[in-house]
Amino acid sequence: MEKTEIVLQNDGSFVERLVSERTLNVGQSVLDTLTENVCRPVHDVFNLPNWGTVHANVGLNDTLWSVPLDRIPLHARFKLINQVMVPMFASSTDIEMPLVWKVPVSVKVVFGVLTKAEDGFVSVEGNWLFACDQDKRGFRLPLPNLHDDCRICTGQFEGEQETALECVKASLDQFAVSKWNSDLMRTIEQSQKFFRFLPTKDTFEPLPVQGEWTSLCNKVSTALYERVVI
Amino acid sequence: MKTITVKYGVDQISKQVEADFTFGDLRESDSFKAALGFGDNTKALVDGIEQNRETSIPEGATVRIETAANTKACARA
Repeated sequence: MEKTEIVLQNDGSFVERLVSERTLNVGQSVLDTLTENVCRPVHDVFNLPNWGTVHANVGLNDTLWSVPLDRIPLHARFKLINQVMVPMFASSTDIEMPLVWKVPVSVKVVFGVLTKAEDGFVSVEGNWLFACDQDKRGFRLPLPNLHDDCRICTGQFEGEQETALECVKASLDQFAVSKWNSDLMRTIEQSQKFFRFLPTKDTFEPLPVQGEWTSLCNKVSTALYERVVI
Repeated sequence: MKTITVKYGVDQISKQVEADFTFGDLRESDSFKAALGFGDNTKALVDGIEQNRETSIPEGATVRIETAANTKACARA
């Protein structure tokens, strides 16, 4: 399409401007290149029994799945100190128990699963465990088996599945059953102020975090954390 | 002196630093660490590109600090 514009300039002269427009047939590869780093959050993609709603952050090459957790399975060794049961991740002699820590309302904990579609299957590229405050600051919980960037080591499991849903489920199943050990452990004192249980007649009741919870964690900021959907 | 802006997560700070202040100096700076809460294992990025420690930070630059992945091994059953 062509159109002609007549422009009156400041000095009183007239200028004719010919404008030519045509629609470019932009190929998919050009669009893909331009949107390579664009990711889109999608809420409530599916619901997993026992875990709840799963959100997604969809990129061109991969998808980060965010699973808000209301509990953390703590299959580890514990010790009774001052009538309070606390973890002893490095111990080989204290009692081993599959306790479950309930996440307090002031803390948001998100389990992340990064998946990538391959030829005929979907692969798990990694799992992460983030804690967040109300302003979406990211934190590394005082737990072992967590790297500085909150990537979590849960041991060996089948990371190639038919669908992304099965990848998320397999990651969470492994997270639920794997035992915590002392690898990547920092100071046990912070863990013992964070994860505390009161022995009762029949069970172990989780106790509140001792002190301000963020002071027991390490602040974290990564490109992957930016993709977490809460 | 020059002014730089440093972001770490949702927090950021603008501050005057020496003219030869480098990305390495920033990553080791106790005052920036205290203000923004980052640790020792970090990387510095400008416009998403990771910067060398020795490079001087340009005047007016916005630097994003990110937690780096560590390479220690972890084995779990």
